Amino acid sequence: MSFDVVGFDFLEGLTHFLKVFGGILAAALVVSLIIAFLKYGPRGFGLFFKTIWQAIVDFVHTSPRRVWAITMLTWKESSRKKALFVFVVFALLIMFAGWFLRSSVDRADLQLKVYVKFVLTAISWLTLPVVLLLSCWGLPTDIKNRSLHTVVTKPTRRHEVVLGRFFGFSLVGTVVLLVMGVIGYFWTVGQMPAEAKSELVGRVPVYGDMTYSNREGNRPQDASEETSGVNVGDIWEFRSYIEGGTKSRTFYDFDNLDVSEIREAGEFRIEYNFEAFRTHKGDIDKRLACQMTIVNKTNGLRVPLPIFEVHEFSNRAADKTIILGGVDDDGNRIDTVTYNEEATNELKTVNLYDEVLEGGDITIEVQCLDPGQFLGMARPDLFIRMPDRSFASTYFKAVFGIWLQMVLIIVIGVTASCFVKGPVATLLTFGILVVGTGFSELMQGLAAGQTEGGGPFESAYRMFMHLNPTTGFDEGPLKSVITLVDQIAIGFLWTVQHLFPRFEYYNMIPFVANGFDVPWRASLLPSIAVTLAFVIPCLILGYFSLQLREMEAK
Amino acid sequence: MNQPENVIEIRNLSKVYRDFWGRKKVQALKSLSLEVRKGEIFGLLGPNGSGKTTTMKLLLGLLFPTGGDVSIFGEPASNVEKNERIGYLPEESYLYRFLNAEETLDFYGRLFNMPANVRKKRCDELIQQVGIQHARKRQLKEYSKGMTRRIGLAQALINDPDLVLLDEPTSGLDPIGTRDMKDMILKLRDQGKTVVMCSHLLADVQDVCDRIAILYGGELKVIGRVEELLKSKEQEQILTSTLSDEALNEVKAVLKKHNADFISADRPTSTLEDLFLKTVQISQAQPGKRFVAEGDDKGESPLDEEKTAEQPTAENKASN
Repeated sequence: MSFDVVGFDFLEGLTHFLKVFGGILAAALVVSLIIAFLKYGPRGFGLFFKTIWQAIVDFVHTSPRRVWAITMLTWKESSRKKALFVFVVFALLIMFAGWFLRSSVDRADLQLKVYVKFVLTAISWLTLPVVLLLSCWGLPTDIKNRSLHTVVTKPTRRHEVVLGRFFGFSLVGTVVLLVMGVIGYFWTVGQMPAEAKSELVGRVPVYGDMTYSNREGNRPQDASEETSGVNVGDIWEFRSYIEGGTKSRTFYDFDNLDVSEIREAGEFRIEYNFEAFRTHKGDIDKRLACQMTIVNKTNGLRVPLPIFEVHEFSNRAADKTIILGGVDDDGNRIDTVTYNEEATNELKTVNLYDEVLEGGDITIEVQCLDPGQFLGMARPDLFIRMPDRSFASTYFKAVFGIWLQMVLIIVIGVTASCFVKGPVATLLTFGILVVGTGFSELMQGLAAGQTEGGGPFESAYRMFMHLNPTTGFDEGPLKSVITLVDQIAIGFLWTVQHLFPRFEYYNMIPFVANGFDVPWRASLLPSIAVTLAFVIPCLILGYFSLQLREMEAK
Repeated sequence: MNQPENVIEIRNLSKVYRDFWGRKKVQALKSLSLEVRKGEIFGLLGPNGSGKTTTMKLLLGLLFPTGGDVSIFGEPASNVEKNERIGYLPEESYLYRFLNAEETLDFYGRLFNMPANVRKKRCDELIQQVGIQHARKRQLKEYSKGMTRRIGLAQALINDPDLVLLDEPTSGLDPIGTRDMKDMILKLRDQGKTVVMCSHLLADVQDVCDRIAILYGGELKVIGRVEELLKSKEQEQILTSTLSDEALNEVKAVLKKHNADFISADRPTSTLEDLFLKTVQISQAQPGKRFVAEGDDKGESPLDEEKTAEQPTAENKASN
C-alpha cells in the first residue's frame, strides 16, 4: 500500500452521490411508471403515485419500538443459533498465534507489523463472513419458514422489517467486533517485545505538494503544471530523480501547518525516505550527500539545514529523521535554529516557531549535492511528523473501519435477501464485495472510456476484424455508429460501477501496522461517506422489494 | 331490524398464480363475493386447493388480488393500519422457534406498540388462557404440535383483536385441545368479536360456526347459516326415552295412519369426541377403571357413567 494519501473532498463526493443516486432514482421511477402503464393502462398512473405516496407515509410512520423489537429478535436469533461461536475460533487463534509470530521477525518495526496485521486481519476475516451469512439468510429463512407472516400481519410496515434486521445484524456484528477488538488490542500490546514497544504509536504525517524544478533550479511558472524528475530506467515510476551537483531541486509545499501544535510538542520533525541512484561508484565510504532548505512563504526566510547523508538501506528511524528544536542536554527547550546564511555566509540564529514556521506556510527544498549521482523521491517520501497519537486511538480507528465495512456488507446482504433467496443473496453480496475490493480500478478505467482499442463495441469489432488496438479506425458512418453505441455503453458502465462500493477505503490495517495514525480525511471520512451512500438507497430498494412482493406466491 | 355491520366485504375477488415468466399456473379464486358480519363465526370450507387459504391470505394482504376488491373494517386489505384490529393464526404456527412463550408474546406485543406493563399483563393472561403456564419458559422448538397451536392462538389474541382469522385452528390438536379451541372460539364470539375460520374438519366447523361458505375449485358454491343449510325440510325427528317393541309398532301404525313413511328407529349415538373427553375425565378420577363393549349389548361405556369426575385441568390437557 502506498501512503500517498489524498484528502477526500466530502462536498465533491456528496455532489457526485446526489448526481448518481438522483439519476438512478429518476430512471427507476420512469421505468416503473412505464411498466405500470403497460400493465394496468391509465389506472397504472394512479397506482404508481399511490405506491410512492404509501412509501412516504410508511417511512414517516416508522415505529422505533417495532424496529427495536425486530432488532432484538435478530439478536436473540443470532445468539441462540450459535453465531457467537466465532469467539471460540478467535480465542483459539490468539492462544496459539504468539508461538509462531514471536520468532517470525527480529526488527522492532516489523514485529508491530506482524502482530497488528495478524490481529486485525483475523478479526476482519472472522467477523465479515459471519455477518455476510447472517444478513443474507435471515429474511429468506423467515419467508421460507413463514415466520414473517406472523410479523407482517401485525401493523408492521415492511421497511421496519428491513430496518430491524439491519440493526439487529449490526448489533450482533458490533458486539463481536468490539469484544474481539478489545481482546486483540490487549493481546497485541502484551505480546509485543520490550524493544518494540516504542513502535506502538500512531504517527501523524503531514504531506506536502511536490514539484520538481528543472536543471537550472526553476519551478514551473504554472503551479498546476505536472512536473517530474529524471527517469533512471525503473519500470516502477513511483519515484522520480533529481540530478546531484546541479541546481535541480524538489519542492515540498506545506500550507496551514498547525504551528501552535508543533510548538506545544517542542520539536519540528521531518521524516524522509529517499532512494539513491548511482551512476558511478564515487567514494565508496561515503553515502549520497543531500541538503534540505526550509523556505518560509510568509516572510521569505531561507534556512538551509545541515547536510545529511541518505541511508537508503537503514532501518533506523534516526537515520531518516531531521529534528529541529527539542531539548538540550540539560533538558531545556531549544526554540531556535542556527544556520549559515547563504548571502552573507554568516551564522544566524532565528526562532523556530515565530520565524522559520511563521504563518504555517513553508516549502522544503531538497537537493542532491554529489555530482553525477541521482536522488529519487516521491510525494509520500517526505513528511512533517506532527505530535503522535496513541496506538490505541489508531488501532481502534482501524477496528472502526472494519465495522463500517461490516455495516455495508450487512446492508447489502439484507437488501439482497429482500428479493432473492439466501444462496443467491450470499453470492450476490460476496460478488459485490469481491468486485468492489479488487476490480474498482479496472471498472473505473473501463467506465472512463480511456482503454486502448475503444469501447466495448469498437473492441469487439476490432477483434472480429483482426484489427490491432493501436491502429486507427477509418472515418465513416460505421465509426460514427460504433462510437455512438460505445458512448451509450460507457455511460451504462459508468452507472454500473457506482453500484459497487470501493472497499479499498476500509482497509486501514496498513496504517496501523506501519505505525501511522489512520487519517481522517483520506481514510475515515471516505469510508463513512461510502457506507452512508449505500445505506439509504439500499433501504429504499429493500422496502420496495418487500412491499411489492407477495409473501407466498405459489 | 337493522342489517348487521359487515366486517369483511369481498367483491368479485379473483386470484391467478403465475410462474416466473408471468404465465398462468393456476386460478385459485374465481370472482368470489361474500360478506362476514360483525360478531359472527364464519367458516370457510372446501377441499384442498379450493381457495380457502388463498382467501385468508388475500384478506391479510399477504397476497395481492388479480381482480376484485377486499375490504376489512371498510379499509382496503393492503392497508397496514387495519392489522391493529386483526388477529391471525396461520395454518401452521409459523412462530420463531428459538423464543420461549413469554418472549414470543412479548415480541408480538411490541409490534402493536403495547407498553411494557400492558404486554406483561396480557402475556400472563393469554398464557393462562391457552393453558401453557408450565411451559412458558421453554423454547417453542421443544413444544408439541398442540402446544404450538395454543401459543399460536395466544399470539393471535395479543392485541385483543376485533376480527380473528383462524386458518385450520384445530389442525393437529387432540380431542381435548380441539374442544378447548372450539370453546375459546365460542368465547371470542361471546365477547363480541368476529371470527373467520377455514377448515376441512367439518364437524368442528358445524360445532362453532354461525355461517359458512363452501368453496370448490376457487368458486363459491354454498353460503348461509349453518342450521338453515343443514335443516331437513322433508323429515321430522322425534327423540323419546327407550321404547319397547310393542310401543314402537304402535308408533309405526300411527305414522301409517297419517300417511308418513317410517324410515328408521335406532338408539342415538353420541360423538367420539364426547366419548373421548368423558374417558379422560373418568381416568383422572378413577385410575385403573376400564370399559369394554364388544357387541353383546351388555358392554359398558364411559358415557353411561355419572358425571363424577372433574374436568381435565389445563396442565393435563396441554401435556396430552
